[in-house]
Amino acid sequence: MSVIVCRPEKVTRPYYVEDLGVNIYSSQEFCYAIYHHPMLFMDRFDDQNLIDFIRDQLGMGFAAARMEQRMKAGEKSVELMFLFMQECDYYTAAELNRFRQLVTSLKKLPPLEYAKRKTDYLVECKQYGRAIAGYQAILEAAGDKKDDLLAGLVWNNLGACYARIFQFQKAMEAYDRAYGKKKDLGLLEKMYHLTLLDSGLELKERYKSLISPQLKEKWDRDFDEAREKAGESPQLKNLQELFRKDSVKRGEGAARLVEEWKQEYRSMA
Amino acid sequence: MDGLIVGLDLCDAYTQMVCGQGEKSWTLPTVVCKKKDEDLWLVGEAAYASALAGDGVIVDKLVKLVKKDGTATIGGIKYGGMQLLSHFLQKVLELAREEYGTEMIKRLVISVARVDQRLLTCLQGCGEYLGVEERSLSVISHTESFMYYVLSQKREVWNNQIGMFDLSPDGLCYYEMKVQRGMRQTTVLAEREELEESFSLDILKTGAGAKLADRILFSCGSRLLQKKAFSSIFLTGKGFEETDWAREFMKLVCTRRRVYGENTLFAQGAAYRAVDLTREKTGYPYVCICEGRLDSSVTMKVLHKDQENQLVLAEAGESWHEAGKEVELILDQQDYLEFIITAMDPKKKKAVRLVLEGFPRRDGKTLKVLLKIGFLDERTMTVTVRDQGFGDFFPSTGASMRQEVML
Repeated sequence: MSVIVCRPEKVTRPYYVEDLGVNIYSSQEFCYAIYHHPMLFMDRFDDQNLIDFIRDQLGMGFAAARMEQRMKAGEKSVELMFLFMQECDYYTAAELNRFRQLVTSLKKLPPLEYAKRKTDYLVECKQYGRAIAGYQAILEAAGDKKDDLLAGLVWNNLGACYARIFQFQKAMEAYDRAYGKKKDLGLLEKMYHLTLLDSGLELKERYKSLISPQLKEKWDRDFDEAREKAGESPQLKNLQELFRKDSVKRGEGAARLVEEWKQEYRSMA
Repeated sequence: MDGLIVGLDLCDAYTQMVCGQGEKSWTLPTVVCKKKDEDLWLVGEAAYASALAGDGVIVDKLVKLVKKDGTATIGGIKYGGMQLLSHFLQKVLELAREEYGTEMIKRLVISVARVDQRLLTCLQGCGEYLGVEERSLSVISHTESFMYYVLSQKREVWNNQIGMFDLSPDGLCYYEMKVQRGMRQTTVLAEREELEESFSLDILKTGAGAKLADRILFSCGSRLLQKKAFSSIFLTGKGFEETDWAREFMKLVCTRRRVYGENTLFAQGAAYRAVDLTREKTGYPYVCICEGRLDSSVTMKVLHKDQENQLVLAEAGESWHEAGKEVELILDQQDYLEFIITAMDPKKKKAVRLVLEGFPRRDGKTLKVLLKIGFLDERTMTVTVRDQGFGDFFPSTGASMRQEVML
């Protein structure tokens, strides 16, 4: 239990973290964001715009100057990030030590594994467009390397990303490639469900032969249950509520909602 | 000259003014008069003359009028206490402006018997009317004026305790000041006592009345000065303009002590304070504790660079109406704020805990609150706390609370 005095900071131009969809207005918020989403910031600190924000908006001129010096000397982004967090005095030394250990363990991962973890994080943040680019870059970098397990996981995740942005054809192709790396029944199920979502899609004959009538029946049941569950979601309830209102309120609400959806889709794709 | 530095003693009976630049002082009754047929305001003897001639309406006891939020109707127009006091002060300041040939008021310190919130607000309003910037106007108590006056004299004058009797049409008061020299800082303590034995100055006009007044003062003096070592005694107020009537009392106070008479002491003390406020570094590097100033410090334990530190919210010796702080705090796993109140006697240290009822419970150091500290008087602190939210991560819930804490 403790009380921390906040530095007086007059941020007029906040720092926008696109991955999280939030503006940062203070050094405390910045530290909080880094601490809870290290993957998003570890490689971002050797950036002059970010250092300018720290100097001009957070009023941390001395820290910014030190960061600039270290950046010129070729210091890694992650070290600049630790320097910033230390200067902010938001987390205790013990908390920062724990954080440093976590970051170090992440940095010790093999490069492709690290890149995959980082891209998975983008998926968690619903940044599907950027995640797709990330996964494609991993697959390109992996090239002919014989790591079917990693490639299978990446193709699987890529398929999920395409499905989330309604590109079912591409999702089907990605799952197909994933199945090629790893013969997993779960992948077949996903491909089957895609055919239910998009009537234009069809399972390859070799996959059809692998699905027994009992399995097909179970997957159909699961699909119906999921659809039923989606029908009871709060978002849908809110939408039904909106359409019960008078035309003026309905129009205003619908416009607001469509704008929200557009924003959400833009940030996703 | 880059502006006037003015010390003003504002009482119900009379007002005195001294300028930091010179020796000249002004004393005039605290009355204002408005001419019946024109928008002309008069003060001092001119006000009485106009009222006697029947072409003006006079209003007196302006301080009392302001304190009770009173009004006066002149020529069918209702004037508030602040308006009347503003007209009065404007005419008074005109005297100094004319004397020194400058319009600008660089610093104005007004000394009143006792500073309260209503009078303070009113005087700040008057300052605005008079064109005195808010930061250039200060209001202090008579006790504080007394302290500044004494501390501005030679050191031998205030080696030990200092006593003062103020006999004015407003009453009889006794002031006492002592200096505590410590290793790290020197503390000056001053107190004021309104004496019940107060009498009207009119009784001095007759021999028997003067004798009675002398006896009363002698009795007060004996009680207040006994068994104490005084460096000096000061006498002030209209009652001590002449001291022939107070033979016994004078004999008592003059025994083994230096006695000084100073009629414009409060105005001069205010002027000394005004001059000091224009300096970059104070000429009075002491902790001054008296009426109008806090006698306790208020701190809070905070974590800084992994070490427990004390955040000073208000310091003993600060004027209660100027003291206060606004600070944003992050509360880590605690739903309360704890204030440590330390009086001059460290044994009297106490902790006051304020539980933040109705505030959200947020983990991960994301409960950010705005804490505002202010004072209603020397003994009452006001605490306002508001949930600030935590940026886009956690918008503010709007939760807030206000509480008064007795020091």
